[in-house]
Amino acid sequence: MSTKEQRERIELLQGTLDLLILRTLLLGPAHGHAIAKAIEFNSDDVLQVEQGSLYPALHRLIKRGWVSVEAGISENNRRAKFYRLTTKGRRQLAVETSKWERLAGAIARILRPAAQEGKS
Amino acid sequence: MRRRKRMLEELDQDIRDHIEMETQENIERGLSPEEARYAALRKFGNVTRVAEETRAAWSSMWIEQLLQDLSYGIRALRKNPGFATVIVLTLALGIGANTAIFSVVRAVVLAPLPYPQPDRLVMVWESRPNVKTLSASYPDFLEWQRNTRSFGMMAALTFRDYDLTSAGAPQHLNGMEVSSGFFATLGVEPAKGHDFTPLEDLPHGTPAVIISDRLWRTRFASSPQALGKSILLDGTEYTIFGVLPPGFRFISDADVYTSLAQGEPLLYNDRTIHAIVSIARLKPGVSIGQAEGEMSAVQESLDRLYPVADGNLGANIVPLKQQIVGDVGGTLILLLGAVGIVLLIACANVANLLLVRSAARTREFAIRSALGASRARVVRQLLTESVLLAMTGGILGLIVAELGVSQMLAEFPQSLPRAETIGVNLPVLLFAFSISLAVGIAFGLAPARKSSRADVQSSLKSGDRGSTRSHLGSQSALVIIQMALTLVLLVGAGLLLRSIGGLRKVNPGFNTHHVVTFKVGLSPSLTRTASDTRMAYQQLLDRIRRIPGVQAADFTNIVPLSEQDNGGPFWVGPQQSTSMQDAPHALYFETGPEYLNTMEIPLLRGRFFTPADTADSEPVIVISSVLANTYFRDQDPVGQTITVAHWHTARVIGVVGNVRHWGLGDPGTYNPSQIYISFYQLSDQWIPAFARALSVAVRTPLDVATIMPAVRNVVYGTGGDQPVYSVRTMQQVVSESMASQRLPMILLAVFAALALFLASVGIYGVISYSVTQRVQEIGVRMALGAAKRQIFKMVIGQGLRLALVGLTIGAAAALILARLISSFSHLLYGVGPSDPVTFVSVSLVLTGVAVLACYIPARRASRVDPMVALRRE
Repeated sequence: MSTKEQRERIELLQGTLDLLILRTLLLGPAHGHAIAKAIEFNSDDVLQVEQGSLYPALHRLIKRGWVSVEAGISENNRRAKFYRLTTKGRRQLAVETSKWERLAGAIARILRPAAQEGKS
Repeated sequence: MRRRKRMLEELDQDIRDHIEMETQENIERGLSPEEARYAALRKFGNVTRVAEETRAAWSSMWIEQLLQDLSYGIRALRKNPGFATVIVLTLALGIGANTAIFSVVRAVVLAPLPYPQPDRLVMVWESRPNVKTLSASYPDFLEWQRNTRSFGMMAALTFRDYDLTSAGAPQHLNGMEVSSGFFATLGVEPAKGHDFTPLEDLPHGTPAVIISDRLWRTRFASSPQALGKSILLDGTEYTIFGVLPPGFRFISDADVYTSLAQGEPLLYNDRTIHAIVSIARLKPGVSIGQAEGEMSAVQESLDRLYPVADGNLGANIVPLKQQIVGDVGGTLILLLGAVGIVLLIACANVANLLLVRSAARTREFAIRSALGASRARVVRQLLTESVLLAMTGGILGLIVAELGVSQMLAEFPQSLPRAETIGVNLPVLLFAFSISLAVGIAFGLAPARKSSRADVQSSLKSGDRGSTRSHLGSQSALVIIQMALTLVLLVGAGLLLRSIGGLRKVNPGFNTHHVVTFKVGLSPSLTRTASDTRMAYQQLLDRIRRIPGVQAADFTNIVPLSEQDNGGPFWVGPQQSTSMQDAPHALYFETGPEYLNTMEIPLLRGRFFTPADTADSEPVIVISSVLANTYFRDQDPVGQTITVAHWHTARVIGVVGNVRHWGLGDPGTYNPSQIYISFYQLSDQWIPAFARALSVAVRTPLDVATIMPAVRNVVYGTGGDQPVYSVRTMQQVVSESMASQRLPMILLAVFAALALFLASVGIYGVISYSVTQRVQEIGVRMALGAAKRQIFKMVIGQGLRLALVGLTIGAAAALILARLISSFSHLLYGVGPSDPVTFVSVSLVLTGVAVLACYIPARRASRVDPMVALRRE
């Protein structure tokens, strides 16, 4: 039971992480470290993601054909893998984004009246 | 997949690079190299786990989950071994019975014949009004061979027994006389040596024989030297031409095949004697209808050429497989339906058990979905468990099937064509596998859907073990279905039982008790001439009659109820008025004078034969009551004359009772008239052919095991080359004649008993579960003054209601089904499909069993202690 429990939770997180990776790659191809940095920077360090969990997520996205890989040279002149958003991935990002927005909107609507109640 | 390999190969390097970049960045921020690396590692997380999860991203999720579900399922079932055992055993019985019957249906009905392009093979028969499949005459067959274009090849054969007397102990062998081209028509060649050539179709050629692989191995120790050697069959030397491939078989297990032209000249020279079975291979693209059209044209020309012999003869072509399988196909399909019902009942039981269990597991699944398991995932988990159960049941079922089939074949050795190929093979395994899978999914789906739909909130909140009312509803429905299906099976078995009972009550026209029949192959040295043969049989019978305990004994060419046939045309008076085919036909018994006493057939008028009726005295015949009533309605037949085709015009000396030759339940449409001729009065030319067919019948109060050694003693006393074989009591013959009813009756009875048992377990389970659920209610009732008897009656009543509803539905279904079955088969005899005795008694049995099954839970309910029950809150 316990392993199952963890797995379910990770799946939940991964969904979000996938979305963030796709969004980051929309700006252009990047290598793994750069993606991690970008997510940290763009979320003002609010999202504390273990950098390692990036890799299972990336591989899953590759498997689904949303992200492709190419060889490249990093900014400090090293050979590195660059991840690029595919057309399919771009479409998926649109879907995921609208889904996320609807979810966030719904949660916000639920939370707002509760907050007002608390005030009065 | 290659992409996956490349991606994973470089994964470790990618991770190292990533950590190094982070370290570099940290150093640039001013940390010491050691601190920088440590921080980078911490930020990255567990490297091993990351690598593992990344690999998992590439692995096939469903296989992994399946394995997980499987191991979880096995653990869950092992925690509850009683539950699992009951389910597995129930399914093993259901799947086993189905697999057993399927293996029979496959081998007998579905499997193609074991020859190349078997669907092109046909049997060609002559036909006359009322007789659809009449054996052909050999001269007619030759005309067909010459004048038809529809067939690629055509061959003729007759079945014949041989006594092999050279090279070792005398042995009785089954065989065939065939025309050249017989093996080629079937598409088979001898494995060693060579086939017959058209030369062997000519009379007076070299007697040649082709032997089976089995005979070659047992008699000639598989020696290649056997080819070209000669063996002594019925006193004639035959040269071994060839050995057939192992496993070759055509209709019967024959060991020797000789050429037709070497056989009895009467059988193949006379156009009016119909003794030939004809097989043919249709040319590619020629349909049976086209071939039949061509055959009728040939038959019409024969009609014009030979009006006496062939007037009014038609032709009839039957696919070889249909001919061999005969009408058991319908019976087998019926049985397949019956086992299907048993399986449904078994599934209903299992579904019931799973429903109870899923009720108990509602909380477990609520917790799972609360933790994020999707509904599909829960359903899949439950289905994995039920399929696991079904597969285990299926494996056990295969064992059940194997045992059941071998038991059935031992019980009914001759009743199924092609029985030699019945067994567990790949198609049967596939069948067992697929019904196990289907069953697992079918009975798993309902409880699974129910559980997965359960309301998480309420299930978690209530400390209760699950919702009960809705489950009880589905369970009751399942019990009603079980009861209905069981009643259908019981009615089927009951009707067949009544049919057998009806058949047993039929007077066969002779006394079937205390009679043993057997055949004796007289030494060729004793049967060189016709008069020698007559003498030899007379002496043999004299010796047998002198054995202590033998009351009467004599021989006959056809044993009643044994399916042996010997029909032919006759005329009242000396004048032949019409063609052979339009003349009335009778069944001819060629017997000795003591035959009537031996069989205890009643003599109605005149006398039977005496030893004084010989080849030299006036030809006389005895006729049966049916013939007498049909052709001598207003006169005394005794003293009248009848002409027997191929024999004499003979005087009628007596009238005897008719014998039910074609089966106890035979409607009497085929050859109902019977004529007795004394074997000793047969013409010399006919003696060899009929002597071979003779069976000895012995009336004795002793049992077979006591009398037969004495018989063998006197037979062997006359020479070492006389085998005794085909020993059967008349009772065995009678039983075998009812095999077409007995086989389905016994199997249906077994299935009905199985269904009754499963259904009673089912109703017991449901009532007992409902009592457990209602303990508090019962406690309240008792506290409020309900008597034990009332509670008892209430529970029994609950069960009885289910049983009665099921019974009503079942009776309606059984009425329709029985009518359907009786419309296309001859299984029922002496009972109507809606036989009230069967329906009432079967309903009583089912109700009784249902009440018994409810008795235990009812007693438990009536003994509930109200104080204990109420405190259970």
